[in-house]
Amino acid sequence: MKAIAAGALAAVLALPAPCLAHRLDEYLQVTRIALARDRIDIEIDATPGALMAGDIMSWLDLDADGHISPREAEAYGQAVLRDAQLDLDGVPLLLTLTRVEVPSVGEMRDGVGTIQIRAAGQIAPIAAGRRSVVFVNNHHPEGSVYLANALVSADPGIDVVAQTRDVRQRQIRVDYEVRKAGGSALAWSLVAAGMLTTLVVFRSRGGRQ
Amino acid sequence: MSHRMIFTAAVIICLAAVGLVVPGRGSRGILEAQRPTATADATQRAVAAAEAFLATLDSAKRAKANIDLDAKTRTVWSNLPTGVAMQVGATERNGLKLGDMTPAQEKAALALVASTLSTEGFRKAMAIVDADQLLETRSAPTRSATTRTRFGRAEYYVAILGKPSATDRWMIQFGGHHLAINVTLAARQTVLTPTHTGTQPASYTMDGKTIRPLGSENDKAFGLINALSAEQQKQAILGFEVRNLVLGPGSDGKTIAPEGIRASAFTPAQRTMLLDLAHEWVAILGDEAATAKMNEIRAGIADTYFAWAGPTTNGKGAYFRIQGPAVLIEYAPQGAGDTNIDHIHTIYRDPTNDYADKLVRR
Repeated sequence: MKAIAAGALAAVLALPAPCLAHRLDEYLQVTRIALARDRIDIEIDATPGALMAGDIMSWLDLDADGHISPREAEAYGQAVLRDAQLDLDGVPLLLTLTRVEVPSVGEMRDGVGTIQIRAAGQIAPIAAGRRSVVFVNNHHPEGSVYLANALVSADPGIDVVAQTRDVRQRQIRVDYEVRKAGGSALAWSLVAAGMLTTLVVFRSRGGRQ
Repeated sequence: MSHRMIFTAAVIICLAAVGLVVPGRGSRGILEAQRPTATADATQRAVAAAEAFLATLDSAKRAKANIDLDAKTRTVWSNLPTGVAMQVGATERNGLKLGDMTPAQEKAALALVASTLSTEGFRKAMAIVDADQLLETRSAPTRSATTRTRFGRAEYYVAILGKPSATDRWMIQFGGHHLAINVTLAARQTVLTPTHTGTQPASYTMDGKTIRPLGSENDKAFGLINALSAEQQKQAILGFEVRNLVLGPGSDGKTIAPEGIRASAFTPAQRTMLLDLAHEWVAILGDEAATAKMNEIRAGIADTYFAWAGPTTNGKGAYFRIQGPAVLIEYAPQGAGDTNIDHIHTIYRDPTNDYADKLVRR
């Protein structure tokens, strides 16, 4: 037992410097969900700790040449998406890989490189009402740490109502409200009309004084 | 003409009618009065400090220390140590590092950094640098010969983005491992967001004194969570682990949906505690700019959320977040269990005005 402990300590001491400052044995997977009327974008930033780098490299570097080619990066992005599940109102959506970027091998070995995966779930334009999206990340759950959040939508007619997660944030359910498209234009018109009325009243009062 | 244009025109006409905006005078009036402003003196001091620093440099170093300010250069900052590609892809920080400066140049560089910060803010930044120097001392003997990663005081960079000016936008950056001070000066306003602070170790001894660079942030947060009633804690405490920053370096321009308890449900005393906690980040900046920013946060307090994840006993590691209309603050111990209190990351953002974008849009 003592020998194992001493070996582990020696291994830690032999690690490159960043290991002392950053996660060693965790695979941090950060997911952000962006909601729109006709698509759901998924952003995954995955950062392997130094002790995970060997595993991740074996998943990425398929020809074991010590370099990650664009084709290998894309293959890994597709593998991550195959391990993920995205549902809208209980109906599974197809996730399409839109971009993947991988850091250098050295950065991953140092535990500081982040793999960026971007994907989109295409949907038919949705009608107004309450919607719910569920995203589940099943990519290498052993040793992984997750963060999952919905972003405030760029569409002012979409409001996140609630976010529910499991304790590890591997799974997130986002309930959101979609208001009728064009409703905001009507609102703008009403506000503008109100302001112009205020102006007319102000001026007519000024004229009487 | 779009509805938005009609509305905007109506607002301008109405404001002009009641004398709040006087066209032709640079839109001064109530809009100007509401701007959080630093004094012209503070801006002038920063300009003078920048010019003094640049005057100590030869042309090659000056070209490195003073670069253009644009949408890309301003995002080059990170929590990571030197030698590692940052979240935005850059491989080196902007500017000139302390390790490449002469003592006179370093003195002028740090005077520039101090010119827009409060005494306490500058002390906090340098305490983070000292912690990293300790990390360097501890890690250097076991560092692999091939690694390019470096920690320590020599690896902190000072940069001037844009031309130092009392009227136009420019930036001062001071950063290294666990530190990214981004000060944007735009006419009479000084903006600190986005800024990252962190520390490892979280507590150390120097000259016989215990230093905790982010100790007040930690203690005030535990004070607040324990000042909440059981019912309030139920709303504030998230039912899941949060093991890192959600909107850390590289996440500019994103806003997450708020969670936790809304401060409209707080007592006045609890709101004061929340503001006092936010003040730890805001007051890195000099007094007048910090006061203006606190007024802005105070104005949005009813729509500000406080979220917590982790134990509520001080001495354990816990994540927390403050999110309001003009502020986002996250504090995230790194790692899990009882070993996570010695390594902290934080972020301070303004979803409406990072890099003083709101002012420039006006």
